[in-house]
Amino acid sequence: MSDAKTMIEFRDVHKYYGDYHALRGISASIRAGEFFSLLGPSGCGKTTLLRTIAGFEGIDKGAVLLDGKDMADVPANKRPTNMVFQSYAIFPHLSVEENVGFGLRRDPRSKTEKAAAVAEALEMVGLKGFGKRAAHALSGGQRQRVALARALILKPKVLLLDEPLSALDKKMREQMQVELIKLQRQVGITFVLVTHDQEEALVMSDRIAVMFEGEIAQLADPETLYRRPNSKKVADFIGTMNFIPCQVLSESGGQIEVDAKGLGRVALSPDQCPPGNGDTAMVGLRPETLTLLYPGQTTAERTVEGLVDEVIYFGDMTYYDVYLGGTDVEVRLSMRNVPGRPILEVGSKVDVAWSPSALVLFR
Amino acid sequence: MARMQDPGLRREARSGLAMVSPTLLYAVLLLAAPLATVLLYSVLTSARGQVSWDFTLGNYIEVWTGPVYRAIMLRSLTVALGVTLVTVLIAYPIAYFVSMHVEPSKKSLWLFLITIPFWTSYLIRVFLWKVILGYNGVINSGLMSVGIIDEPLQWINYNVGALIVTLAHAYAPFAILPIFVSLEKIDRSLLEAGQDLGESKLRTFWRVTLPLSMPGVIAAVLIVFIPTIGDYVTPDLIGGGKLPMIANMMEVQMLKVNNKALGSAIAVSAMLIVGIVAVGFVLLNRRFLGPQK
Repeated sequence: MSDAKTMIEFRDVHKYYGDYHALRGISASIRAGEFFSLLGPSGCGKTTLLRTIAGFEGIDKGAVLLDGKDMADVPANKRPTNMVFQSYAIFPHLSVEENVGFGLRRDPRSKTEKAAAVAEALEMVGLKGFGKRAAHALSGGQRQRVALARALILKPKVLLLDEPLSALDKKMREQMQVELIKLQRQVGITFVLVTHDQEEALVMSDRIAVMFEGEIAQLADPETLYRRPNSKKVADFIGTMNFIPCQVLSESGGQIEVDAKGLGRVALSPDQCPPGNGDTAMVGLRPETLTLLYPGQTTAERTVEGLVDEVIYFGDMTYYDVYLGGTDVEVRLSMRNVPGRPILEVGSKVDVAWSPSALVLFR
Repeated sequence: MARMQDPGLRREARSGLAMVSPTLLYAVLLLAAPLATVLLYSVLTSARGQVSWDFTLGNYIEVWTGPVYRAIMLRSLTVALGVTLVTVLIAYPIAYFVSMHVEPSKKSLWLFLITIPFWTSYLIRVFLWKVILGYNGVINSGLMSVGIIDEPLQWINYNVGALIVTLAHAYAPFAILPIFVSLEKIDRSLLEAGQDLGESKLRTFWRVTLPLSMPGVIAAVLIVFIPTIGDYVTPDLIGGGKLPMIANMMEVQMLKVNNKALGSAIAVSAMLIVGIVAVGFVLLNRRFLGPQK
């Protein structure tokens, strides 16, 4: 992956809407064949950034390069990109096959070859035999597939997806996530996905850029992003993170020792300590890195006493809110509901096992 | 029929009837009754101003074979189609501009400005065009004073062209509004999708915007075509009585010649023509609306 060539490059991209600074110096590169996600809350500029790739938004400073070429003077219809719109933008006056074949007008192939290409594209997205249907008669999931087929039939270098799954129900969304990953592997085209759903980004992407207020806060693969978020904000946005106040005791040779309230003294390695940005020092712990010890269970990890304050039953999981070590520090931890593991009651005294390596220090 | 026995339903039907009856009565008295009278008159015989109960199709034969009537009907059709064409061609770009290029917050102001011509009476507007296009009108005297022409142009007044200009100006707002509404309804991401799929802005207009705004265009066509074909004031004032249209012919037969039977036959024939053309457009509209809803 790392030696793959760069497909999209942002060089210090700025965009203003009047006085509003929508993109504040975006620099990043997206590799060829990558499934890349732009993740962030609404209004963070992720859709604007996607639209600068498509050519629907101009930029005020910097450059967007596509396959090594500056796109400054290239209009949207001449760019080697295609887009799946949030609303799918299916032409309501055309049939499914006319929609899918919309971009083939200038294609030099014969009518029969084009029809074959349309049929093939429809089959690829699982809509074989739907060609003659009127576009308005399709369900949300089918519209999405038509939008995909319509874009992919043109064999773009980059496929842009603007929150394509947000209009679908949960089941459908999860199914489409898997299908999109498979499709991307099958066609080998660079996919750039915009989403506000962190789970979706983690499931689908090779790499994710987390954006806040027009800037990229962190760009990493899903695991790094989840395990080693580089700021409290990113940690808070992605998944659930327990923040525990702490004091930095010493720093020497990369090793940092902190005293976390309720957990005690912990030594942290450099990769657990992203550069600080002046916040109050806190350590972060994901709920699944904490484990409840049932009577008779032992662990090689460190343990701390806890008091169960709240029990939230989720079917496959149970979440416990637990006070640590007799302090007012409350953490949430999750336990899988495997057979033979009873659900504890509020007020139970428990031992909580945790591992120092799961900690991340924010300061 | 079991449902009809349901007292609740019957009561509902009664109260429904009670609610529509004033309107129904109004429509019967002022629309259906005169229409029926005209239909009846058109198959009766009229002699020396008196209509007698002798049924005949003679009036229709005269209307459909007499060269004068045919010429006038053709002129009516030509003027109405010309006005419709000119109006829609002028209205579309205006509607497009307001819908696509005017800031959303200023759109209602623009629409308001478009209706300004309605603030003056139609008669005044017609006379204004007379002043502009007339023998000694603004255009002629203007051109003469700068020396481009030596004597007034005859062909700009008292002709079908002048009729079309006057009527098109009068009906433009009626055409702008439905086209504007249909353009407003178009999802803007469809236009981006057109470009995204490789089409230029112009091509996207032809392939996406125009077809999707067709229902508005056809509504505009009907709104302009139907009243203009029966227009009575404009040919009288602009045409100076030399360019009668079908409605002027009816007036002559009904009031001046006092041949109510023949006048009625002309009226029914005109209705028939308008009806056929209108149904044609409605069918066209259905074709465009068909795949959408």
